[in-house]
Amino acid sequence: MTDKQSMHIDPYEKNWIRLSIGLLVVFATAVTVAGFAFGFQVPTPEDRVDPRTVATEGPWADPGLRELVPGKKYEAYILAQTWAFLPNEITVPVGAEVTFYVTSKDVQHGFKLQDTNINMQIVPGQVSKLTVTFDEPGVHNFICTEYCGAAHAIMFGTLTVE
Amino acid sequence: MKEQKNSETDEFEPKGTMVILLIFVLTLILLWGSVYLILLSRGVTV
Amino acid sequence: MLANYEVSQAEKKFIGWHLLFAVIAVAIGSLFGPLQALEHAGLDLYPYLQPLFASYYQGLTLHGVLNALVFTTFFITGFLTLTTIYGLKRPLRYPKLNAVGFWMMVVGLVVTAIPTLLDQASVLYTFYPPMKAHWSFYLGLTLVVVGSWIEGWGFYFTYYAWRKENPGVRTPLTTFGGLITMVMWQFATLGVATEILTMLLPWSLGLIEGTDPQLARTYFWFTGHPLVYFWLLPAYVSWYGMLPKQAGGKLFSDSLARFAFWLFLLLSVPLGFHHQYVDPGVPAGWKFLHAVLTYSVFLPSMLTAFTVIASLEYAGRKRGGKGLLGWIRALPWADPVVSAQLLAGILFFFGGIGGITNASYNVNLVVHNTAWVPGHFHLTVASAVTLSFMGISYWLVPYLTGKKLGVSNKVANIQVWTWFVGMVIFSNAMHVVGLLGAPRRTPLGLAPYIPEEWSGHLLRVGIGGTIMFVGMYMYVYIVAKTAWAKNYEPVEIEVPLADSIHDPQETPDWLDKWVPWLIGTVALLLIAYGPQLFDQISNIALNAPGGKVW
Ligand code: HEM
Ligand SMILES: [Cu+2]
Repeated sequence: MTDKQSMHIDPYEKNWIRLSIGLLVVFATAVTVAGFAFGFQVPTPEDRVDPRTVATEGPWADPGLRELVPGKKYEAYILAQTWAFLPNEITVPVGAEVTFYVTSKDVQHGFKLQDTNINMQIVPGQVSKLTVTFDEPGVHNFICTEYCGAAHAIMFGTLTVE
Repeated sequence: MKEQKNSETDEFEPKGTMVILLIFVLTLILLWGSVYLILLSRGVTV
Repeated sequence: MLANYEVSQAEKKFIGWHLLFAVIAVAIGSLFGPLQALEHAGLDLYPYLQPLFASYYQGLTLHGVLNALVFTTFFITGFLTLTTIYGLKRPLRYPKLNAVGFWMMVVGLVVTAIPTLLDQASVLYTFYPPMKAHWSFYLGLTLVVVGSWIEGWGFYFTYYAWRKENPGVRTPLTTFGGLITMVMWQFATLGVATEILTMLLPWSLGLIEGTDPQLARTYFWFTGHPLVYFWLLPAYVSWYGMLPKQAGGKLFSDSLARFAFWLFLLLSVPLGFHHQYVDPGVPAGWKFLHAVLTYSVFLPSMLTAFTVIASLEYAGRKRGGKGLLGWIRALPWADPVVSAQLLAGILFFFGGIGGITNASYNVNLVVHNTAWVPGHFHLTVASAVTLSFMGISYWLVPYLTGKKLGVSNKVANIQVWTWFVGMVIFSNAMHVVGLLGAPRRTPLGLAPYIPEEWSGHLLRVGIGGTIMFVGMYMYVYIVAKTAWAKNYEPVEIEVPLADSIHDPQETPDWLDKWVPWLIGTVALLLIAYGPQLFDQISNIALNAPGGKVW
């Protein structure tokens, strides 16, 4: 009896397992290369703040765009709160590389800049950071993608590239 | 009896199963790949 | 093993109570589905619900809590009670313990329902702090979870007693799958239990000033991802252990079925960061590790796809199906029990494709928090799981009540296909509009930023959602008509346990040993979560006061 107790795997199933593993390896490689070689990255811890004072002290007391290298490099400090982004209008020149630093002073929000890969959870006490470069003129909405209370649906802003 | 049962099963080759699963894999590559291409088209984030 | 053990009337009644609460929950929860879908399509019916329901968000909270948490948990604990006692051919070791668990879940449900219905807990089913619900909402959910634990303990004691009576015998597959589900659930729910007991309850009671929303998310998703396997594994129990028989064949491989279940125990929990790819407070490296682990849990599902389809092919060929694919038509599609599970499986193909997309680390940036995500999980929890549960109900309710299904197979089949067709339209539209950038959890009719190009897809969301609603209420009607029939045809239904092509006693012994797998599970958990939990807990900052913002 015991000699029969080996795991019986059908040859077709063996091939299927090989194919599945192969496929996952290909996907994993594609994702890893895009992430770590090209810079399609997800947020990573940047800084922590006190949500009770963030609107009155530090960079988010005066949220908005900072010009680091004119025409080239910018930082955008954005404060999310119920139910608006501060500021809710931003204008940058074509070719600008903009790094977003977003935090919330009340509940969780989302920050998704349409037609780019900027998509972040905004968590009170944490700073969400990602960077984007604008090569073409146009208007991008940034919308709140996490339920944040009664008027969540109207929470958005616009970024203009000109 | 047992022997007979096993020989009956050994003859069964799940070829149709493989066809379905291959169709699945092709669909998976196509759909996953299209979202991956959307990612690439929307630019880097660092 | 009691040689001629029969499930008693009392046991059937006890399982029936589970189903009753499950169906009531999904009936109420689903009322909001079409309202949400039609709102997206431009038809806002919420003003007419005043003052009964305050807002879209209150409705969405009820939709998520009742469907995804209550319906599933009650159905699963009921169904797995049956697979435990029927498979082991012995009664529950401590029936009173299971009764305590069940009624604790009921009390928890009521305690959760009250603040939710009073609009004091419109925080959605993920209840992310620092949005603050009334404390009774968290307390009620805790009771539901603890109740489900107790029912699980009841299963373990029963299994333990059976094991002593039957040394060396392989655990019947359906029982085995059910036990794995409940053990996995114990590990999984440690996260949300810690979140509620150490943070949310003291905070909502006013004992502490604030909370740490990032740590809360980490705790929540420790539970949140395995939650989906808690929903899915009972459907797999049916696909592996019952569907082959219902389709007229045998299980293709008993040992691979067991192996898949063990992999689910091992891998379901240590990958919750894949829900937090865009969180600011989790290091990218840890997210990447969880991405890799998530890819590995795709394998047991690929195994399942093979084994289940091969079992179906075996059945179809035995029924005279010829050619490479002719066996598909030869399957008993006329039986709603079978057709429901087959269509659930087809939808799950696409659910799986969406799942691997979501899990792919940076690819998640494209879809996170968009309508794509509800599009995805209506294919998984609301199709693979819910549609399978509908099919299971079509033999389980007659089995429990002794009454023939209250409608013809044809009508039940129309129900099944209605859900399928509605879901195809709905989920496709949700995926597409999500890729275009539409956010989830948002009454889009009120949103000022909706471009014209979304409107066609949003219309399809409304159409598909309405068809699904019809399908859901046909299901509720069929179950109710069967259960409460006065004049009925009595039936004797057998629980459909499939034989496997190879005798289970030939399955290797190590696939029936718990200790090594449990040790592996704990070890993997410590590796995947230990360092981050230590880091986040030692840097805890309870400084977000939050509040009621709806
Ligand atoms: C009756 C047919 C149904 C329809 C038309 C429907 C429709 C919808 C829609 C449109 C949303 C998205 C709302 C938004 O993001 O703003 C949604 C969310 C959701 N649905 Fe359904 N649904 C149905 C049935 C179900 C079932 C049976 C389940 C689970 C068993 C389910 C589970 C969920 C969950 C968990 C959410 C997410 C809630 C949240 O984001 O907090 N739904 N549903
Ligand atoms: Cu918001």
